[in-house]
Amino acid sequence: MNVLAEAQVSSQDSVPALAGFIASSFSPLVAEVARRCLSGVTPNPATAIVIVSPDGDVETARAAASGGRVSPLLFFQAVPNAIAGYIAAKWDLRGPVVCLEEPGIEGGVEVARIIIRDGDADEALVVFVGDGARAVLVRGVRP
Amino acid sequence: MLERVAVTGMAAITAYGFGCAALLSGVLSGKPAFGPVTRFDVAQRRVGVAATLPGSPDLRELLDEVIGQVGAGGPVFLAAHQRMGIGDRTYTSACVAASTAVADAASTIAHGDAQRVVVAAGYLVDPVQFGLFDAGRALAVDGAVRPFSMGRKGLLLGDGVAAIVLEARPRREPMAWIDGWGRAGDAYHVCQPRPDGSGLARAIERALLKAGRPGLDYVNAHGSGSPQSDAAEAQALPRGVPVSSTKALHGQALEASPLIELVTTILAMNEGALPVNAGYLGPDPECPVDVILDEPHAGDIRHALVVNSAFGGANTALVVSAP
Repeated sequence: MNVLAEAQVSSQDSVPALAGFIASSFSPLVAEVARRCLSGVTPNPATAIVIVSPDGDVETARAAASGGRVSPLLFFQAVPNAIAGYIAAKWDLRGPVVCLEEPGIEGGVEVARIIIRDGDADEALVVFVGDGARAVLVRGVRP
Repeated sequence: MLERVAVTGMAAITAYGFGCAALLSGVLSGKPAFGPVTRFDVAQRRVGVAATLPGSPDLRELLDEVIGQVGAGGPVFLAAHQRMGIGDRTYTSACVAASTAVADAASTIAHGDAQRVVVAAGYLVDPVQFGLFDAGRALAVDGAVRPFSMGRKGLLLGDGVAAIVLEARPRREPMAWIDGWGRAGDAYHVCQPRPDGSGLARAIERALLKAGRPGLDYVNAHGSGSPQSDAAEAQALPRGVPVSSTKALHGQALEASPLIELVTTILAMNEGALPVNAGYLGPDPECPVDVILDEPHAGDIRHALVVNSAFGGANTALVVSAP
């Protein structure tokens, strides 16, 4: 796998809010690190999005479980697919969307390798959210 | 040379009961498994219906049970809302999590990276997800799921826990073959499907291409019963092929639903009877789909397509062939 671009957002960085997403820094972090990673390249429509985190969006899960009336906005952001859909629409990335709970970015890169080998994408944007966020844009060689 | 991918073991637990036989007889009965939710308080919810097992079963225990039934050995790919302390990889891609896991497992076997992979998936109706879907006005207020039908109101949740074994070079006749798999994205919206269904159509095209473009005898559709989702899906589905969404029977099991639907499809193929598209009130011009009505279709079912879609514009398709 060739790394075409990479970016990081540290846990100390200020991350812009994202319209429609509330109560959690997870989705804004994903959007920001994806923006930094993709801003210097020409996006290829045949790009998959793989979002990896050890425990998912804990803050949204906590808000959804807090009892009382639930905000309808939490309905869609409760799954990481939602922010993947935001990135896909913004950058016109039409490859597969995959979300994983894994301890590191390596699990996402492995899934990206499988997707590219299968011909379902040429490239993959793999985003890991932990303490901060990291993104890599990878390109594989099909057999 | 790629290995052909065999399905050599299956186990399932749904609101119809424990085991694949209960699932098959339930879906072929045509009677939806929905009933009032008693597992938690739904007094403040717009909808109080789901397809649930009795009591409050433990998801981890049921996952251990289905994995134990099919037998450990080789990597385990899990599809669930979160890590469960089992499995070598956990897929959380909402309503395509399990089908993505199956696609990756099939690829892993086809390319010789493993001889045997277990794919397990589980969701049990819970107050948090129920509250979210209720708040999002996604649940069917009339208490029925009506895929591709006029007057459809939305989805209903259902319990679903399942495991399957995929193997290369099986030592006995398999239950089915996974001959094609495809995944594609809509690049359209955080939660709405692309209205022309083109993302799902590409996933289907990828799967059919891998499978050598067999003639299809059945489509187990995503068919959530949601107005926009069904209309978009209908644009992508192949014409002239019998279609049903068994979510109208066993409910929407979120991350696990694709695996319940794959198991259902294989059971139906082996039985030679295709389940009905329950809850149908009449045709919707936006959904030109040849749905199975009234009673199960009988016949020799050689090749079937299982499709799923999820938030974020995620789409998957699997091509299943009879042994």
